[in-house]
Amino acid sequence: MDSLETFVVESAIDSEKEFYRKIIEDNLASLKLAPAIGRIKVVLRPEDSLFQMAIILRDVGTRVTTIDIADVEAKPVAGEVVILIKKEQYIPELLTKLWGRYGKANISQPDRWTVAISTDRPAEEAAFLKEMMVADPRHRLHENLVEFAIRATPEGFRVRYHLYKDNSFVFVASEEALKTEWIEEAGAMLDELMKGGKT
Amino acid sequence: MAVLLPYLYTGGVHKHGLLIELMEDLGGYIIQKVVTGTEVNLIMLVPEKDVHIVKKLSDELLGVLMEAPLTGVEIAVVSPTLASHHLPHSACDVAEYLRHPGANTNMIGLARGMGRRVSLSMDYERKLINEHDIAVFSFGSFSDCITKKKPKLFEGIEIPIVVTGGPAELKTEDVPGADLYVGNIGRVSHRLRRTEEVNALESLNEGVSKIADNIRKQQAKDPLAVLPARVMKEIENQVPEIRTVLSPAPLTLQLDGLRVKLPYDEFHEKIEKLEFDEGVTLSELANISRSKMKNYILIKIKSKSDVGFAI
Repeated sequence: MDSLETFVVESAIDSEKEFYRKIIEDNLASLKLAPAIGRIKVVLRPEDSLFQMAIILRDVGTRVTTIDIADVEAKPVAGEVVILIKKEQYIPELLTKLWGRYGKANISQPDRWTVAISTDRPAEEAAFLKEMMVADPRHRLHENLVEFAIRATPEGFRVRYHLYKDNSFVFVASEEALKTEWIEEAGAMLDELMKGGKT
Repeated sequence: MAVLLPYLYTGGVHKHGLLIELMEDLGGYIIQKVVTGTEVNLIMLVPEKDVHIVKKLSDELLGVLMEAPLTGVEIAVVSPTLASHHLPHSACDVAEYLRHPGANTNMIGLARGMGRRVSLSMDYERKLINEHDIAVFSFGSFSDCITKKKPKLFEGIEIPIVVTGGPAELKTEDVPGADLYVGNIGRVSHRLRRTEEVNALESLNEGVSKIADNIRKQQAKDPLAVLPARVMKEIENQVPEIRTVLSPAPLTLQLDGLRVKLPYDEFHEKIEKLEFDEGVTLSELANISRSKMKNYILIKIKSKSDVGFAI
């Protein structure tokens, strides 16, 4: 699936459709979500105060473990585990996890690419650290998707429903109490997208 | 009384004091002086017959002199809320563009202005908006909302109302209660810089200038007892504390008065007792009250027919 292979915005009035298409594009760009989204369909019904959105996501990559981003070496004599970073982008997450486990006092960063941990059991800890999960892109994606949905919806539509399952995301928002059929309609939109996105 | 025309001078800081001195000699007024680095912006009121003298000096200083039709107009730019849906684009872009022709703008975010059925404005907010000369409401992209639901926010607003929104095909008469509708400035999440957006902002400026002109024409039939710019100058001379105020416009001119950004309790007596050469005090010529904005002082000048004379 290509990114944004289907991008449909529906509304009774053509000009409003274009405005919302632009708003959605801008928000996708500012949250850097465009590469993660395969197909998206949005239906606007201002007369009912209703906003429906269905999204099919592309593969977003798997969980990142320490061994994916760094080399882990045990130094039994010095009582240390040394982590040599290869991919800098995950350092904040890695450090947060390490601080939580060993305490800030036991961790030093002699330079940008090196993290040294002093511990009594270097070998065991090194084995553990290699398999430790550092970041989960899916979790980050979920946060961004919800943020995106809130930004794209008209502000007054404060009653919201959202469902994030496997690689699909359904969002319904309104000013009034949500009706079951609105959520069902959004589900049907998702099914359409699943079938190939041609509407 | 000499007719004063609003002009904006943009040029280098070097020797701009000459222009200020010239303005004093001619009997014009410097409304606002903004120095940014080596650049200076002077907003001023120039006597009609002396414009060519000012033009000549500004040419000598290699500056640019242009008309600023919104000088001395305080505009409220009202957005339904302060959420990221409306700000900084497009409401702030609208405010910024209105400042080009000399207006002073205030952004007002309503507490509960969002939505269709649930939107409402508070008494305090309406009073605050009514302190201005013109209100610009920045609305969204749905024509259904703009024509049917949002106009209830205009209830209790007594000043001219300008509405901006997305749909270009709507006309002013489709929006009940509005004095002007400008399309193509709806809800956007990017800076307004595409051709049609900039054109829309320009037509907004033109429309607002026309409304300001109409107010001035109405005023000319029964002129104010004293020019707001003259009151401004007297305050600068008689209340030296105004120089310690850090706001960009410590004295904000309005079409029928001015806002003094000093605390009311401490300074209102001083302002009331402000003396003019003719021997009258300001309290005889104007209503001085506590502003809804912070704790400022609001001066609304009475008309000549109310006071019986004008100075």
